[in-house]
Amino acid sequence: MNGFTKISLQISLCLLVCFALPRGAAGTVDDAQSFALQAAEPYIKEGFQVREDYWGGDLGSGEKKAVRQQLFKGNEYWFWMGTEVERAKISVHIYDSEGKLAEQPDSWEKGHFAAAHVIPKGTGSYFIIVAVEESPEERTHWALVYGFR
Amino acid sequence: MIPFSKSLKLSAIALLGVTLCADAAQAPQRIDVKQMSKKVENVVVPLPNEIFGALNKLGSVNWREFVRTEKSSNFTERPRIALLLGTVIADGFIAVQAEDAPAVKEIGQRVLNLSKGIGVGNSITPHAKAITEAADKRKWENVRQELDRTQSSVQAAMNEVHDEKLSQLVSLGGWLRGTQVLTSVVTKHFSADGAELLHQPDLLVHFQTQLQAMPEFNLPLIRDIQQALGEVRPLVDVGSAHISAESVRKINEITTRLDSGIVTRD
Repeated sequence: MNGFTKISLQISLCLLVCFALPRGAAGTVDDAQSFALQAAEPYIKEGFQVREDYWGGDLGSGEKKAVRQQLFKGNEYWFWMGTEVERAKISVHIYDSEGKLAEQPDSWEKGHFAAAHVIPKGTGSYFIIVAVEESPEERTHWALVYGFR
Repeated sequence: MIPFSKSLKLSAIALLGVTLCADAAQAPQRIDVKQMSKKVENVVVPLPNEIFGALNKLGSVNWREFVRTEKSSNFTERPRIALLLGTVIADGFIAVQAEDAPAVKEIGQRVLNLSKGIGVGNSITPHAKAITEAADKRKWENVRQELDRTQSSVQAAMNEVHDEKLSQLVSLGGWLRGTQVLTSVVTKHFSADGAELLHQPDLLVHFQTQLQAMPEFNLPLIRDIQQALGEVRPLVDVGSAHISAESVRKINEITTRLDSGIVTRD
């Protein structure tokens, strides 16, 4: 077998493997978590400890989910959300136990990443509302991680 | 008057500003929490150092006073091992607050031995090694992260073999030890802000609900904890009122008694 034939065969095999493997839609919550952690990465350098535990699941376009979490006055928190569906638009917002928006203005959303920042005015339960605003997929995996300092 | 070219530039800047702002969709200022409460995801139990960090900001704490390395009793009952494991991991966070490297290393070994006792030792060995290495280098942030990973790995290993209830007891053990130390500190130097850190009524409901679903763990200690959580709840479920010094003292008594029950044989 000459060099050209060998390389052609290798390329063909690679292409075959690539197309035979399941594509993006077969992502998992773990994939979504890795994107949420990617969003958290710059904040670790700022002293935030990111928890190992996380929330995750899948939502349809326009669907929301609430997560209730105990936060402590004196700490500062970021919640980072991610999905592996790159063309999806997601959001995360934080409300206090009375249902009043409690997040800082530097909270942000960028396509398949979103983050909410809160400096609790009081110790207690807070609601973190995650949503898939738009997505090309029927169901979109999401994951939410949080960090504090 | 602004020239057209300048006005065009200003309009372009304004449009860009609007576009950038639109990137963050407007969140409603208020939501109906009653409606939201019906579809809430699982609670993630805060780590003891999440509370200790907030406590530290209220004034310096002599963490060395709370470091505990003496070996507790050996148990064969898996629920008891799970509770003790959570307590010992919390002790690890206390030793980190005290920056006590020998204590951190001893606790790392204790966590490994307890994990072996409950059948999940394999998943903990690399973490125990990482704890020792980070403690030797006095990299406290790394130790904290590794303790969190340890707890998470223990619980993941338990969940894999459908021991979710044991996994919940690990979190409960850690929470009880954290609360005991928090109330000791606040009892000694009372402040309304320190006492407010105990305002965790939803977590108490969460633990009570979990314990109610464990009738198979028919141990006196589990029953004691269940009853004690019922005593603690009204002391912290005070709405917008302050938690009193007397309540803090009572919670300290209760959690000290429970901690003693967790670490010593009946």
